[in-house]
Amino acid sequence: MRQVLEGSHAISEAVRLAKVQVVAGYPITPQTHIIEAISQYCADGSLKARFIPVESEHSSMAAVVGAAATGVRTFTATSSHGLALMHEMLHWASAARLPIVMGEVNRALGPGWNIWTDQSDSLSQRDTGWIQLYCEDAQDALDTTLIAFRLAETVNLPAMVVIDAFYVSHTFEPVDVPDQETVDRFLPPLAPRFRIDVDHPQALYPMVGPAFFMEMRRSIQEGMEAAGPAFDAIAGEFESVFGRRYSAVETVGCEDADLVLVTTGSVTSTARIIIARQREQGKRVGLCKIKQFRPFPAEVIRAVLGPVPRIAVIDRNVSFGSGGIFAREIQSALCPLEKRPAVYSYIAGLGGRDITPETITEVLRLAEETPMPAAESGWVGLNPDVKP
Amino acid sequence: MIASLRPTLLFPVTRTSTEANRTGSWRFVRPVYRFKTAPCSAACPAGIDIPTVEMLASRGQLYDAWAHICRENPFPAVCGRVCFHPCENACNRAELDASIAINALERYIGDAGLMAHSPLAAPEVAPLQRRVAIVGAGPAGLAAGYFLTQLGIAAEIFESSEEPGGVLRWGIPSYRLPKSVLAAEIARIEKAGVGIHCGRAITPDALNELAARYDAVLVGAGLAATLRLNISGEASIVDGLAFLRDVQTGSAPVVSGEVAVIGGGNTAIDVARTLLRQGARPTIVYRRRRQDMPAFGHEIAAAEAEGVRIVELMAPVSVAADGDGVRLEVQPMTAAEVGSDGRVRAVPAKQPPQTLRFNRVFSGIGAEVAEPWHRPGDEADTIRLSHCVIRCAPHAMGYIGDPVTAENSVAHAIGSGKQAAIALHALFTGGPEAVLPAVERCRVGPGPALSLEIYLNGERSHRTSRMVTFADINTDYFSRAARCVIPALAPAAAAAGFQEAVTTLRPREALAEAARCFNCGICNDCDNCRIFCPEQTILVDAGGRRSVDLDYCKGCGICTVECPRCAMDMEEESA
Repeated sequence: MRQVLEGSHAISEAVRLAKVQVVAGYPITPQTHIIEAISQYCADGSLKARFIPVESEHSSMAAVVGAAATGVRTFTATSSHGLALMHEMLHWASAARLPIVMGEVNRALGPGWNIWTDQSDSLSQRDTGWIQLYCEDAQDALDTTLIAFRLAETVNLPAMVVIDAFYVSHTFEPVDVPDQETVDRFLPPLAPRFRIDVDHPQALYPMVGPAFFMEMRRSIQEGMEAAGPAFDAIAGEFESVFGRRYSAVETVGCEDADLVLVTTGSVTSTARIIIARQREQGKRVGLCKIKQFRPFPAEVIRAVLGPVPRIAVIDRNVSFGSGGIFAREIQSALCPLEKRPAVYSYIAGLGGRDITPETITEVLRLAEETPMPAAESGWVGLNPDVKP
Repeated sequence: MIASLRPTLLFPVTRTSTEANRTGSWRFVRPVYRFKTAPCSAACPAGIDIPTVEMLASRGQLYDAWAHICRENPFPAVCGRVCFHPCENACNRAELDASIAINALERYIGDAGLMAHSPLAAPEVAPLQRRVAIVGAGPAGLAAGYFLTQLGIAAEIFESSEEPGGVLRWGIPSYRLPKSVLAAEIARIEKAGVGIHCGRAITPDALNELAARYDAVLVGAGLAATLRLNISGEASIVDGLAFLRDVQTGSAPVVSGEVAVIGGGNTAIDVARTLLRQGARPTIVYRRRRQDMPAFGHEIAAAEAEGVRIVELMAPVSVAADGDGVRLEVQPMTAAEVGSDGRVRAVPAKQPPQTLRFNRVFSGIGAEVAEPWHRPGDEADTIRLSHCVIRCAPHAMGYIGDPVTAENSVAHAIGSGKQAAIALHALFTGGPEAVLPAVERCRVGPGPALSLEIYLNGERSHRTSRMVTFADINTDYFSRAARCVIPALAPAAAAAGFQEAVTTLRPREALAEAARCFNCGICNDCDNCRIFCPEQTILVDAGGRRSVDLDYCKGCGICTVECPRCAMDMEEESA
């Protein structure tokens, strides 16, 4: 049924439809609406889950780690400083091979105290062993959450469903909310591959010495490697049930393009309009949206972007001392190719600054007009009036 | 197909039990469950185990709570109405917000016992084949009879009036204690096996006869004679105690208009409030300051709210008939230094005497024994205990109640009857030397309150005498909560008749009030010790009793710190 939902509640609805059994949460703007709605579902009985209110995000993740170890479906959500506080427990969740799903609303970290969107929070957790799926709008958020449960439970790794603060989390859009029966067909109850069981006592995760630790880490890497094909297969099944298609990398007009713009998250929607307009004007430009950041779909990137002469990447994030994180990942993925495209890296939209059609047009113009990409990322949309 | 994409998993699991690691070997201090004395129970002259009573009441186990009170006091519904509740002054909760309304809860529990017609428990000890005669069916005599039967000793009470109850029946007005409540609690004591013979006044000769026929005699004849004012014209003053008694029998004359009551104690208040209910306008005339009045504060406040006037620092000098009324000459007084009794003395002020005119003047100034033999003499072989006096020879003889207690209250009278019963049991079973140790052994905390349960080696006997203080309470586990409001009639409605002025708590309020209790020094099964133990060493047996598995207890002390009510201690391991 089509409903007008805000992005946060699209995730909450998906959690209800996924029949999650344990939810822990701690409020933080701009995530709070997700967990607030779920607590309401728990209270009114429309979601038969145990809701654990906790005193911090670290405990929130610890609680779902404990719950997931008993073999139940779990969910939590956070943002920004909350995600940073969870950091230790994120490593725990993945190495414990627990299929936890987390809603993560992209928000900058302070100081400059800032509640608005950028990707520095989720990308700071790049190496924690979590699957990361970025969403463009509310429908994407709902569907991706359902897919995330299936994916996490297939490869026994935790998954983050990432949406932009306010642009997605607090924006109301028409969303097709599927009925329970259909969702049940796509997402069966969790069949845990292991669990804590009082009738079969065992202690999970005791100390592991140098003799076995590397093999354990290798196993996580194999899980991540399996997650790529698993996502494709699950997305295929999702399309057959719901009629909506998702992929790790989505392309628009890349086949004949001289210049391809790479985006993530809600910026993609703005970029779709600019790209369409420029193509109407006869420009050979294309769009590539990266949905899946971990595992990074390097092979698809090579196949899609390898033949393109110029690539412009908009990064709503920065790795200080390096540059735009998506650009660096793409450069790294393209590296094995003999003939590599020129990759132009731009930082834009940090701390909620709007990435407008003008920003995107400027990025395309810069990439077109600059003969050779600079080593450093360029900063687009800086306010000329602000001087250090 | 998707299932085939499942990766292999590699992570560590162990099935070796941690039981192999006996962490108890690390310990140098160990936790022990050591229940202590709640200050309320030590302050209760009847020694009621208040923390346990409130715990049971908070769980809705009203019968158990009632039976628990009755172990120490067979008059919960009476005391819930008339006790001056020193327990509440000792309550630790007062330091957090407000003391527990222990008295109102006792009344609630007592009334529940009456409504259920619950009988008193049968004695748990074998009969001793001894008989005790008791002179006077007041609270002390009735309590002594009850506790004697609980100790396996037959008791028979001889009462001069036609009805038992003593001051409870004749002295305390019905608006404070309905006689149906008193009758029901006395009937229960009688049903428990105490013989009560009314209309049997005892003379000194009859006393000797009783002493010869019984193994012991207890004298609990109370204070039946009103004290004299020793002022001129005293014959025109109506004896307040006799007046209260006449009101009970229905033979009191109807009094109206302005009347005076001389005195400042509870009798004066009772007389004044009774007169008010008869339609008179009473004024209490007191020779000291208002704050020096020995009456209970809440009684004074209730009397004033109903319309009783209080004139302080006025000493009666003389009384004289004046037409239909009475002239009362009073000397204005002024406060002086603290006297030998610790109270501020009043001395005549430099003002001339005044004359007041009343329709009637009543006395309400206290009483003394009616016969000299109602008090113990100073014979040899007399053991003076905190609440009673026992003479072991030639005949075992005891004195109980107001003539021998330091304070005159119903609760003290009950404590007195209990102490005498314990003393006689000790005397019968161990001789005169056994009396003092027996009384000493059953003190509640530092005393002087006594517990029959402790004397009978019940669970309470394992508690230490250390009193729990507010500092011992882990207040992290208690949030402030308002004390219940004790329901009462509006003063004007109360003053209009002899209906009870204060009423019983309703179930929801009572449960919430009982739940406010800290349950100082006892375990109320909160399970904090078990929940917080990092080694899961707290074991609970089928009876709900907790113990520590010392094989694994590291002696960290978390259990003891997290116990909200000081029911645990850490003690050093002996080498």
